[in-house]
Amino acid sequence: MRITWPHMGSLEFVLGSVFEELGLDYVLPPPNSQRTLELGARHGPEFACFPLKTTLGNFIEALEAGADVLIMVAGRGPCRFGYYAETQRRILAEAGYDFEMVPLEFEPSRLPLTVKRLNRLKQGRSWASLYRAIKFALHKAHLIDRLEQQALHQRWQDREKGATTGALKRCYRMVWEAGTYADLARVEEEAFALLRSVPRVEREEIKIGIVGEFYLVLEPYFNLNVEEQLGDLGAYVERNIYLTDWLRPSGERPVLGHHEHGSERLAAPYLSHRVGGEGIFSVGDTILFQRLGFDGVVQLMPFTCMPETIAKSILPQVSKDLGIPVLSLVIDELTGMAGVATRLEAFADLARFRRRARADGIELAPQPAF
Amino acid sequence: MKVGIPGGLLYYRYGRLWNSFLHALGAEVVESGETTRSILNSGVSKAENESCLPVKVFYGHVLALKEKVDALFVPRLVSVKRRTHTCPKMLGLPDMAKAAVGDAVPVISPTIDFQSGLWHNYRAVYSLGRIFTSDPRRIIAAGVTAWREHRLYLERLTLGLDHRGALRGEADRLLCEGRDLRIGVIGHHYNVYDTFTTMSLLERLGSMGVDVMTADMVPEKLRERELKRLPKDIYWSYEQEVAGAILACSRYRLVDGIIFMISFPCGPDSIVRVLCEQENRLMGGVPMLTLVMDEHTGEGGFLTRIEAFVDMLWRRKRREAEELEAVAV
Ligand code: SF4
Ligand code: SF4
Repeated sequence: MRITWPHMGSLEFVLGSVFEELGLDYVLPPPNSQRTLELGARHGPEFACFPLKTTLGNFIEALEAGADVLIMVAGRGPCRFGYYAETQRRILAEAGYDFEMVPLEFEPSRLPLTVKRLNRLKQGRSWASLYRAIKFALHKAHLIDRLEQQALHQRWQDREKGATTGALKRCYRMVWEAGTYADLARVEEEAFALLRSVPRVEREEIKIGIVGEFYLVLEPYFNLNVEEQLGDLGAYVERNIYLTDWLRPSGERPVLGHHEHGSERLAAPYLSHRVGGEGIFSVGDTILFQRLGFDGVVQLMPFTCMPETIAKSILPQVSKDLGIPVLSLVIDELTGMAGVATRLEAFADLARFRRRARADGIELAPQPAF
Repeated sequence: MKVGIPGGLLYYRYGRLWNSFLHALGAEVVESGETTRSILNSGVSKAENESCLPVKVFYGHVLALKEKVDALFVPRLVSVKRRTHTCPKMLGLPDMAKAAVGDAVPVISPTIDFQSGLWHNYRAVYSLGRIFTSDPRRIIAAGVTAWREHRLYLERLTLGLDHRGALRGEADRLLCEGRDLRIGVIGHHYNVYDTFTTMSLLERLGSMGVDVMTADMVPEKLRERELKRLPKDIYWSYEQEVAGAILACSRYRLVDGIIFMISFPCGPDSIVRVLCEQENRLMGGVPMLTLVMDEHTGEGGFLTRIEAFVDMLWRRKRREAEELEAVAV
């Protein structure tokens, strides 16, 4: 039984840590690449969501690397995500692969089934040890999230381009190697110290928020490294989603420090009902970012994503009312790096210009989304 | 008060219900009528490019009404069946309509959600009624009338009238008249019954001498039975209908071929399509043609594909008949 799961940002460190703890066999899919995307797009259904295709690509590459048990989270919608596992199972089975798909569903009526599936996955390890491993992994996830956040906040001041990113990579390793809570506490101090020690320069500050679909916000390879690009363009960046929000879906948002309900309340005048995925948060958090004094918001949307399409139809109105520029990036297998880079650059310039104007007390016309 | 009902999306299911309810409450109901080229064009230019075709069409209907009414009626249907949802686009529809018209026209949007129980829905309908009248009896009477008309409308659909015919209560011709070849045209109501975006597919099939079977005409029992066989249940209300109908058609050979109508880029359909095509293949079901419609679909190419499909079905049918004869001899 060689277990695998798709990539999603730093998920590999978290789940990997669980399996290491328990001493179970697993393989990671090869890192995301153009090939992943091509495989996914070739086998995936036409106009299915982008993440369905990329994770399908991960699965295919992992199967080639010897995996035979695929883990995927499943659910009941209203979005498509809940049906990914089943769809991918069908596609892979038809393509002739030999594997077992284990969808993990966490809604109350399906819990008994999920317990059974987990029981198979843990291969005789005790429930207590599984619980301990997961708890420890969640601690790691929380730490990784806070480190990523620190990187987002400081990258714009880097004296050398890429220094923060490099330091962050070392931090990932350090967290990965930590084996006990004591280790983790030590790593926490060291990692933050390492990040903070990156040499800085004084720059003119602009603040840009990132909102959008979960997977795309978390997966740097497929969002074309927007965070890093924005940081390099001189923007203090914050995003509205961290891995922990997804691993512990209580609505708490421990990294950002506010509850989802706050975001929902802000969105209410524009979007008064949940629409699946992160649609309502893309609207609510745009407003939140505006309140916090951000100069612009970038929305990340996988092509054909339903909740984000709704958000995208509503954001121009928000942008007009509140005067915060919003850049919606629609991403699919045809999106080119160059085009996105130019648009981000123009956007950062615009944000900077508006910030200066505001500082000088110049009235600005509201900026329509572009 | 003049209330506008945009004639897109779920209008093709609940239009009758909404209209008669509002009418019975004393509102002056204005409908945007059938989709036209100019409605489609204005919708396409206003809606997000990534939206699905029916949502774009819906925007067009909204804009067509904008100047003519005091309020728009766009209910939010969250769930119409236990343990299911509608599509996210429908959940956000009133808000999208609001963004489309700005502050010019208020949008009336009661929330219907069968997961929150009957009481919630009763209250939603009741407070909708209160906008127009303060007489509770009148609201309830309006509800009863509207519901009765709605049932009648749905029943007519199951009897083989198309949307237009079912609204009027009569049709020159039934979709299914017992001709030799029968094709299942399956898809969401608005993908099948909108004569403009489907380029009068149903009518054309009729004049080609082909019987049409829509999802409404497939017995509900059979659809439900098919859905129960699936390893993972489908959690979209209307998608259940579509998938159930396709699977039932192919398992029980209710038809000689299936045309699956999809709008580009429909989220739920992109998933259900994989399931239906695969199950149909595994069952050794009937030939299936999946048509993906968008605002650029050209009439020429569309017709060619339909004709080729119908020809193929005829040939198959004849071959099968000959084989049968050969066996009999
Ligand atoms: S949120 Fe968007 S990308 Fe994610 S499953 Fe839903 S439609 Fe697909
Ligand atoms: S079900 Fe498909 S076609 Fe209908 S509104 Fe949703 S995405 Fe659009």
